[in-house]
Amino acid sequence: MSPLSEVSLVTWREVRKTFQSAKGGALAAISVLGGGAASMLVTWVDRLRREQLPPGLDLHEAQEQVFSRWYGQPGIGKALAGCPYALWMMLIATLWLVPLLVALMTFDAISGELQRGTARFWVVRARRSSYLLGKALGAWLSVLAVSLAMNVLVWTTAAAVGRQNPLYIVEWGLRFFCVVVPVAAAWCGIAVLVGSQLKTPMLSLLTICATFFGFWVVHVTALVTKHEWLSWAYPSAYDSLLLSPDPADVGRGLLGTGVITALSVSAAIIAFDRRDL
Amino acid sequence: MSAAHSPRRGLESAVRARKLTKVFGATTAVDALTFEVAAGAVFGLIGPNGAGKSTTFSMLAGYLQPTHGSVEILGLAPAAVDALRGRVGVLPQDAVLPTTDGVGAFLVHMARLQGIPQSQALESAKRALADVSGADWWTERCGNLSHGMAKRVVLAQAFLGDPEVVLLDEPTAGLDPRVAWEVRQSILAKKGRCSIVISSHNLNELEEICDAAAVIDRGRLVAAGSMAELTATHEEIRVKVASAQGATKTSSVPLAALRELADVKSVDLDEDRLEIVVRFDGGRADPETIIGRVLRLLLDQQVRISGVTKGRGLEKRVMEIT
Repeated sequence: MSPLSEVSLVTWREVRKTFQSAKGGALAAISVLGGGAASMLVTWVDRLRREQLPPGLDLHEAQEQVFSRWYGQPGIGKALAGCPYALWMMLIATLWLVPLLVALMTFDAISGELQRGTARFWVVRARRSSYLLGKALGAWLSVLAVSLAMNVLVWTTAAAVGRQNPLYIVEWGLRFFCVVVPVAAAWCGIAVLVGSQLKTPMLSLLTICATFFGFWVVHVTALVTKHEWLSWAYPSAYDSLLLSPDPADVGRGLLGTGVITALSVSAAIIAFDRRDL
Repeated sequence: MSAAHSPRRGLESAVRARKLTKVFGATTAVDALTFEVAAGAVFGLIGPNGAGKSTTFSMLAGYLQPTHGSVEILGLAPAAVDALRGRVGVLPQDAVLPTTDGVGAFLVHMARLQGIPQSQALESAKRALADVSGADWWTERCGNLSHGMAKRVVLAQAFLGDPEVVLLDEPTAGLDPRVAWEVRQSILAKKGRCSIVISSHNLNELEEICDAAAVIDRGRLVAAGSMAELTATHEEIRVKVASAQGATKTSSVPLAALRELADVKSVDLDEDRLEIVVRFDGGRADPETIIGRVLRLLLDQQVRISGVTKGRGLEKRVMEIT
């Protein structure tokens, strides 16, 4: 059997397991309902904002200024100037939420199976690397599925209460969701690396959260001390590159998140391959 | 498949351990263990708690990496998962089934992972579950199974797809006598169809099931051989005499006459256990011939007999050497 088939079998089983479990179902429901509530709030705020804008103000230009300041790049400000503001706010919220979602959905994926010995059923039938890669991919797809459901709810709400064309909203929604995809992969890679070293799910959760917090601290420190290069260790920092109208920047964003993902998963595989189960 | 991993069929040894050693920190859990399991045999790993059975088992299954030495399963390292796919089944001790999975879904998934085509995976999984008398549990969630049911599902996954080598770690531990008996019957039904290695401290069970065994104590091999060799069934018989009121007094046992019987090497009387131990030359006479001679003599002397056993029993043997 090829490693690809092994990975595919483990991945789809992991996705099924996530949504069959009480934890996965509850997380999905909370995320989607929370996303729905947040989207209504954001859309309401957006409408209020538009109604209270001074007469004669060019909204397009105002948004361009806001986004230019936020990302520190006029190019991005220009590119995002016409986007539905509610969707952009949801992107920011999702980028904040993804690490939490990743931590909650992956903390026991491997450590739980190590603690209960369940992993032993798999490692005599599949290469350890396939098992780990399948777990990582399964976690990533599960997180993306929940994020997408949340985002679709936001698009629907925005289309229902907003003044923009639904197709226009979906187009921007998909574009923003595409930013989340590589960022979530990087967070999943880190979570799998940390989670696969531990045999206690609770310890795994705490360590993953602490690691993520550590990455955030590094990011903030980098911003404060103007060491920009250091902030590229933080996966969510790649949104500015991934949103850029310049394909080279998008490529750099994909490369950065890809490198974090590949390094994390590779390190996890090497360590897992050598460890006693 | 690389040349190094290519399976070598027709091997005489199903499992081979050479100077197998596992060190945890300052503790040597398994110390230079060497043994072989003949193809088609049922082999027991015997020893008290903490002897190193499960550590040895885990190295055979590839869960633990040996500190020194090597393991070969069907001529391959346990890590050669792809080359061994579908050829080795494992029942790990205390491994919990995935609680959210249905029994049937779990077994089908295991079947698919061990290379059984999708079209046959369902049938294989159903057959494996039926073999452990669990056909009714197909739709049950693994988390809802009792300990005995779960153990049988784990046994079903170990025998799934009729592997050539099956490793069983404490297959009846924690089971009530009836379920333990049923599990033993399931294992016995597979005897002769594959090589089986059983790690257990239930010596009666191992004596019943195994053809050969290795006795481990404090991580070291203290004895190994066929069950007949370990229990001396070809060298010793034991006759239990009755102790009821008005029955035989041990003084009436004709020890001198027994010692004079042909091929008998020695005779001892264990007065506490009311047991006559007769050792004989296994190369010249079989146990059945000696039993006939001994019983004839005892009955002639009006000695009441309550039982006869060949050998000293695995339990007794293990107590002697560990």
